[in-house]
Amino acid sequence: MAERFDAVVVGAGPAGSMAALQLARAGRSVCLLERGPFPGSKNLYGGVVYARVLDGILPRWAEEAPLERFVTRRVTMVLTATQSLAVDFRSSAWGEAPYNGATALRPEFDAWLAAQAEAEGAVLVCSTTATGLLVDASGAVVGVRTDRPGGEIGAGVVVACDGVNALLAKEAGLAEAPDPSHYTLGVKQVLRLPEAEIERRFGLAPGEGADFEILGGTGEVPGGGFLYTNRDTLSVGVVLSLDGLSRSAVRPEEVLAGLTAHPAIAPLVDGGEVVEFGAHLIPEAGLEMMPRLAGDGILVAGDAAGMCLAAGIWLEGVNFAMASGSAAGEAAAEALVAGDTTRRGLAGYEARLSSGFVLADHRRLRHAPGLVLSERVQRRYPEMVCNLVEELFTVRNPAPKPGVVQMARRAARRSGVGLGDLLRDGWRAWRTFG
Amino acid sequence: MRPLVAVCWKAVELRAGVDPLTGEIRPDPRSLGVSPADEAALEWALRAAEGTGAAVRVVSAGGPEADGVLRQAAAAGAAELVRVAIEPGSPSCEVARALAPHVAGAGLVWCGDVSLDRGSGAVPAFLAAELGVAQALGLLEVDLGAGAGGFSGLRRLDGGRRERLRVEGPAVASCEGGTARLRRASLHLMLEARRAPVRIEAAPPPRRPAPHVVGRAPFRPRARVVPPPPGEHAADRVRALIGAEAPAGRARVVTLGPEEAAEAILEALAAWGELP
Ligand SMILES: Cc1cc2nc3c(=O)[nH]c(=O)nc-3n(C[C@H](O)[C@H](O)[C@H](O)COP(=O)(O)OP(=O)(O)OC[C@H]3O[C@@H](n4cnc5c(N)ncnc54)[C@H](O)[C@@H]3O)c2cc1C
Repeated sequence: MAERFDAVVVGAGPAGSMAALQLARAGRSVCLLERGPFPGSKNLYGGVVYARVLDGILPRWAEEAPLERFVTRRVTMVLTATQSLAVDFRSSAWGEAPYNGATALRPEFDAWLAAQAEAEGAVLVCSTTATGLLVDASGAVVGVRTDRPGGEIGAGVVVACDGVNALLAKEAGLAEAPDPSHYTLGVKQVLRLPEAEIERRFGLAPGEGADFEILGGTGEVPGGGFLYTNRDTLSVGVVLSLDGLSRSAVRPEEVLAGLTAHPAIAPLVDGGEVVEFGAHLIPEAGLEMMPRLAGDGILVAGDAAGMCLAAGIWLEGVNFAMASGSAAGEAAAEALVAGDTTRRGLAGYEARLSSGFVLADHRRLRHAPGLVLSERVQRRYPEMVCNLVEELFTVRNPAPKPGVVQMARRAARRSGVGLGDLLRDGWRAWRTFG
Repeated sequence: MRPLVAVCWKAVELRAGVDPLTGEIRPDPRSLGVSPADEAALEWALRAAEGTGAAVRVVSAGGPEADGVLRQAAAAGAAELVRVAIEPGSPSCEVARALAPHVAGAGLVWCGDVSLDRGSGAVPAFLAAELGVAQALGLLEVDLGAGAGGFSGLRRLDGGRRERLRVEGPAVASCEGGTARLRRASLHLMLEARRAPVRIEAAPPPRRPAPHVVGRAPFRPRARVVPPPPGEHAADRVRALIGAEAPAGRARVVTLGPEEAAEAILEALAAWGELP
């Protein structure tokens, strides 16, 4: 085996770069492998990074990271084919330090994060795919094989941050065969508009951004959407249930075209020049799909470990990836110092995740994916709420106004929602989010 | 002294956005690299060097951003990297003058036929003139054979003509991207190449008066006069021209290899009377 490092990190996404950064900072030799020509070149997401997790690690992130806009306006929207209902929240505090979310483009953000790891001494090798694991006679992982001639790299620890497909975790026997119901498909386009026009349409001051999270609006496929403002582009997309998509026989780009043509969305995106179009899977089942996080000589972090938090009103993956990657890097460095990179020696990883927000949030919200991805939450409740609001504000003179309870009953009936459903789901929602 | 094979590379942005309304070009510095033609040039140099034990030197005239690109050549197997610091946008003759001292003495100097950033393809010709050596430009095929220091090749001439050449060094050769595919760098060389030294040389002061390119238009093949289609009225002739009246079902779907497919297309065009 020609090449040897203390650790190999596979994948220079947010998880991998943070793992490599922590290993390098701890004085370990680390190779960060990326299959794309540069970090971020293969990566796609919606658009908001919650980077407070970097406060203690890269304290100047807010000034140095290539961020587009700080989100100061958050709109939660419910859409049916012809209706929309929105809760529009603004906070100027989010536009100042310590900040909340910021829009960022992944090719820029990921490249920046990987450069931070390189600055600490990590060796970034791009255009190189890890094709498999090297395993010793005892079954412990001792490195990776790559698609380059002479491409084996020996390592004390492999940190698998290879994203949603989690091929290395599966090969190591840490993850089960995938269940399609655990995944959604995100489809997104980036539309270019002049900076000032974006600020005018979304009512933003320069540097401020808007984040629209949309429930419904995806026609017959259960799902939701998003719309984010970048500096001079908009990111607009849909997140679709894989099962629903395959059952519906509708093409994902048609669903996205439907969303951008919706009367509540069309005026916001009108005239934008499409500069990017892409799709990517999202691991949405949280704890239910999480693999074993450590094996002998291997740790799994980020989307590869199913750590993206998709809990309806929250879709956070980058911060979970950065935090888990960072914890994996620290734990791997510790195990290397102790000379024990067995599963037991790497146990510090799970301990770190448990004491921080990553596993705490996933444990607390463990029932959220099931609830949020259910047909009623995705389709019927949005319809019911919109119908109720429409009834509420429709003036039917000369007929007098009906009572609100009567209107609510009628709206529920029209949407096929029974009282039992409401009570059951209300109780589930209380248990999940309460 | 070890014989030398030289390669000239130009670092260019491989991707750039173009505003459809204003034509403004938005560069993408992350896509900096070299054209497939430059890659093919390096591959031919590496193959030629393998046969003769020569060292491969890659020279690029450009700014510091070219250093990373040059190191990709080291990863593929180039032994020496030289960057000549030159003003961006210098004319081809000045680029050739800057490169010449650093490729002089090479048995063969390999270049790509044109750079991707709307290059004129003139640097290799100027380079041959600077060095006072033979030139074989616009190569479509290369055969290194067993001979040391030379090669046979087929080159493109104006007007769609071709010329078969036997070239003995010293010479400057420029090749198209399709002639060879650059080998995939080994992991070891990739890692080594990160530290590969790039020798920086100063460009000579520009010669005065330098030829001055006033404007440049994209390549347009020469127009060919073809007889007008039959038809008394313009509308009939347009219909005939676009094949609107061709018998239905004329199209055929065939699955063939590239050569057979080309033959089949030519046969069909001849059968339809589209070829002179
Ligand atoms: C449509 C969509 C919208 C989203 N919106 C948001 C959002 O707004 N905010 C948010 O926080 N999260 C969002 N997410 C989730 C977020 O993108 C992910 O959770 C996050 O990117 C996970 O980071 P990661 O480093 O684990 O994996 P990735 O970002 O997927 O990175 C994996 C890296 O590994 C590389 N790689 C893979 N296999 C190999 C291999 N074999 N060898 C070498 N390299 C390899 C890939 O090229 C890639 O660079 C969204 C996701 C999608 C799909």
